[in-house]
Amino acid sequence: MPFQLPSFAHRVFRYRSTRITSEGLQFLIFALAIGIAAINTGNNLFYLLLAMMLSLILISGIAAEYCLRRLEVRRHIPDLLFLNSPVTIVLAVKNRKSRLPSFSLALCDVGEGQAVFPQVDIHALPPGVSRLLSYQLIPTRRGRLHLSGVRLSTEFPFGLFTKRAFYPMDDVVVVCPELRPVSERLLQGLFAAGYEQAVHRRGHGSELYNLRLYQAGDDSRSIHWLTTARTSQLTIRETEAEEQRRAIIHLSTSVPASHDTMFERAVSLAASLVQHLARHGYSIQLRVGSERSSFGQGDAHGLELLRMLALCQRSDPTAESMQQDEWPDGHAEIEGGGTVVAVQAWCGAGACELPRVLIDGELIPGAAYAT
Amino acid sequence: MPLSQALHLTSMLLASASFIGLTLGAGLPEWLAVLTGATLIAVLLRNMGLTSVDHITTQMPVSSIGWNLIVLGGFVGFWIDLLWVSGELLPAGLHFLMILMIIKLFNLRLRRDYLHLYAISLVAMLASGSLTTELWFFPIFAVYLVAGVWTLLLFQLTKTAEASGDAWMPAPARLRQESYQGNDRISPRIFWMANGLAFGAFLFTVAIFFTIPRVNAGIYQKGFGENIRTTGFSDKVNLGAIGSIKHDPSVVMRVELLGTPRQAARPLYIRGVSFDRYDGKVWTNQLSYRRSFIEESPGTFGFRGKRGVVRSDSGDAIRQKILLEPLDTPVLFAAPFIERVTGAFPSLFFDPAGAVYLPFPSSSRIEYTVVSRSNTLASADLGTGPGHYPDWVVRHYLQLPGQSHRINALAGDLTQGRHTPYEQAAAIQTYLTQNYRYSLDAPLAAQDQPLEEFLFVRKTGYCEHYATAMVIMLRTVGIPARLVTGFLATEWNDYGSYYVVRQQDAHAWVEVYLPHSGWMSMDPTPAEDNRGSGGKVWQVFGPIMDNIRLQWNRLFVQYSAADQLAVVRELKAEGMSVRNKALDTVTALFGTFLAVMGGIVTHDVSQIRIGLLGEIVGFVLAGFAVLFWLGWGRLREGWSLWKTDDGSELAITQLYRRMRTYLSGQGFSRSAAIAPLELVEITRTGWREAHTAVAAITELYCRTRFGHRPLTQEDVRHAEDQLRRLLELRKPRV
Repeated sequence: MPFQLPSFAHRVFRYRSTRITSEGLQFLIFALAIGIAAINTGNNLFYLLLAMMLSLILISGIAAEYCLRRLEVRRHIPDLLFLNSPVTIVLAVKNRKSRLPSFSLALCDVGEGQAVFPQVDIHALPPGVSRLLSYQLIPTRRGRLHLSGVRLSTEFPFGLFTKRAFYPMDDVVVVCPELRPVSERLLQGLFAAGYEQAVHRRGHGSELYNLRLYQAGDDSRSIHWLTTARTSQLTIRETEAEEQRRAIIHLSTSVPASHDTMFERAVSLAASLVQHLARHGYSIQLRVGSERSSFGQGDAHGLELLRMLALCQRSDPTAESMQQDEWPDGHAEIEGGGTVVAVQAWCGAGACELPRVLIDGELIPGAAYAT
Repeated sequence: MPLSQALHLTSMLLASASFIGLTLGAGLPEWLAVLTGATLIAVLLRNMGLTSVDHITTQMPVSSIGWNLIVLGGFVGFWIDLLWVSGELLPAGLHFLMILMIIKLFNLRLRRDYLHLYAISLVAMLASGSLTTELWFFPIFAVYLVAGVWTLLLFQLTKTAEASGDAWMPAPARLRQESYQGNDRISPRIFWMANGLAFGAFLFTVAIFFTIPRVNAGIYQKGFGENIRTTGFSDKVNLGAIGSIKHDPSVVMRVELLGTPRQAARPLYIRGVSFDRYDGKVWTNQLSYRRSFIEESPGTFGFRGKRGVVRSDSGDAIRQKILLEPLDTPVLFAAPFIERVTGAFPSLFFDPAGAVYLPFPSSSRIEYTVVSRSNTLASADLGTGPGHYPDWVVRHYLQLPGQSHRINALAGDLTQGRHTPYEQAAAIQTYLTQNYRYSLDAPLAAQDQPLEEFLFVRKTGYCEHYATAMVIMLRTVGIPARLVTGFLATEWNDYGSYYVVRQQDAHAWVEVYLPHSGWMSMDPTPAEDNRGSGGKVWQVFGPIMDNIRLQWNRLFVQYSAADQLAVVRELKAEGMSVRNKALDTVTALFGTFLAVMGGIVTHDVSQIRIGLLGEIVGFVLAGFAVLFWLGWGRLREGWSLWKTDDGSELAITQLYRRMRTYLSGQGFSRSAAIAPLELVEITRTGWREAHTAVAAITELYCRTRFGHRPLTQEDVRHAEDQLRRLLELRKPRV
């Protein structure tokens, strides 16, 4: 069984650190000078002044430790974040001490690799009281965001030292690609390609889809009065949706390292397309490199696809990866049909300024984001 | 009071404490002291919101360049002061320090200005500490400490305002504006916390002061101020010299009698030097050549092997602890006759007449312990006729300045019919004490024959005249005698149990050599009629203050590495004593236990084993104590957690039950088997209005009940609100 330090030692040696402030440095220089003067002269009143300064340092350490002790910290963070979109993260801190307040607390989330997030301050936290604090975070990288804990620091009581305490609290959230409006030209291309692919389903439209008995909550304007009169039962008329479209979004991941930025733009474009198509009722399948999702629609499916895009990785182009990454040639190859939208960050030897979009194999020029 | 205003106030207090300390210690020029004091008062009034002062200060706007120029002017002034006015670095530096303080007080705008002010005040305190060792430093220091803790605390608490980008300027106008906001004021919590921190800092300061190792490795060690000027303790003394200091109340030493009961605290003669030759006007010490003491052990000097010099082996030993102020003489004072001296001296010297000397006059207070032993009158000197005097005594202590028939006649008359030297000496002493009057108004020094003037004309004088007259008359009748100068300690401090010896206690008396007893002290001076007395209040508080002053000197000013070692030794001895007592107790306990168990081991063996067992048990108990101490925080935390969880869990469980009962009444959750989250789902589909409240209460209930996470008071209140809202709802009939 590995040796474990007692809790207090663990707390002191692992999760505590102290840094000196500029005022503290000046204070220490003065203390050192007075110490030298005391030794040099043997003057006990110099020793008294030195003792005063040392006692203030000692009191600093003790008071700061009490300030950081027995605090309970909780973090509330959304499940999904979007690149470059501000999000509010809430930290709840409670002083679990029975008598002593905590003063001048500064809290900040600590991410992977000791990256530090914006700091929030509490002037005073009385005993038994909790406070909610929030800060705005703008994710700058797609993928998993790892928050390892919350760091509390205080300069209380004299501002000579900054004492820090680390409260481990692991949280991993997914940062989805940035969502931006899709260009009009691309939307037109999608509309043109998907017009012939309607399938029968219930929805808003004019054609009759079905008749059924009335249920609580149904719109009274949909009552089919003729049938109701004939059967003496309230009957509802269901209509057929105007259109039902399927789309496959294919994102090529075989991109050389030199096109990393372009790949990120392509991912962002694919995510924007997913969001747009999902909102418009498309049944979407996402193919990212060799991975592929099932067809689906709705918010949950859309979020699943966004999560897939958030975690996808660029790979250096090889013959095998290129073969796996080859996009299907037209909706005829797809079982059940559908529009194939291919998003490419790299088009071979040629250099492109923006990701290329091909709808059913046809290049849509200038199809990226709305300006 | 807003924090920033309080900070300003405490900063002023900090500066004031250091200014007062420096003024008392260094004796600043009046104009500078008045200027600095007036500035402090003006800035303080401005801070308190006095509009007229505020108006005056705002009428003289000085830019930062202007302030820099003023500082530059002050620096030039420092050089002028150094070169032409004061002529010394320290006074000129202190004057410049005060000028800087004045400038900074008028220019307190940014946080760094405050830091500068604190640095100046610290340097001023340091300077004050280097220039004095008086008792007043302690209350000044205590005020400085409290003000310092308050100031640093408030400086830290107001730091957030600056960090948030506000121009941090505690000028009065701004302070008033801030005060309207009502935020960040001195709350009772901050007040008590600051005072608690100050008290803690004070305790730690005292503890650190006494434990910090004293390393006297300096090259700038020196005393404080000038030595007290004394008279009468050099090798040559004019008759009447002591009279000049008889009005000086300065304390020259404090003498504590060790191991002597209070009842024995009668007037104490403290011997300095003796004189053997008198020329009619001047006493000289012909035996002034000095030899060094033998250091018996480190810091202890004794007269071992020198019985011939000072014969003092018949009387009771008197142990004295003496705190001697810095005097201008190297003489070491003590009750007669010194046997052994203990103190931090590099070396000590003595002369053949028994006076003890330092290598040079001490420039600081010194503390030493002396064992003295006076001679008692031998019965042989009472009964028999004139005895034999040693040659060296006859050679040195029968000298006369010249024949005076009147003195010879007087001495003869007084000793007529007295057979022993002691009787003769006693007769002379009685004559002088009963027929003459004590008076300091006796200008005899100007007379050609001051002794005859004293004895036959004026018949008034003071100790020197009486002692000289007795010595001369004794020598006239062939009894060796000498004049001794020192102090007569009569002021007993009841609070500290020690003698306070002042300059005005300087005294001269006689030592008579008796053939069988040796040197005996005799004092022919009559009692003084009206010794100086202060007011009644001073008579009450004077001894108390003097005792405090003594303790201050002992504990703070004179505290040294030797004291630290002594404390360590004492603690070690105490520790040994406690350990032995504990061991005895444990041994006794286990001895009884073993005896009850039937005497498994023999007595001798059990003694050894019980002792060992006692030590082991002691170690185990100590180990348990350490473990308990280490785990106490955790135990307490766990207890607190359990206690908190119990309270919040109980509350939320009751709320949840009430919710279920109500929902059951409304047609939901009739079965107890429905899980909490199922119930939430049921209400979501079946009663949308109630869903929010049900979900909130259930979430808090699950968090506490299954997640073991305690709820805050806000959480419980939130749950109560939700339940209240739910109870107001009525399920719509379908």
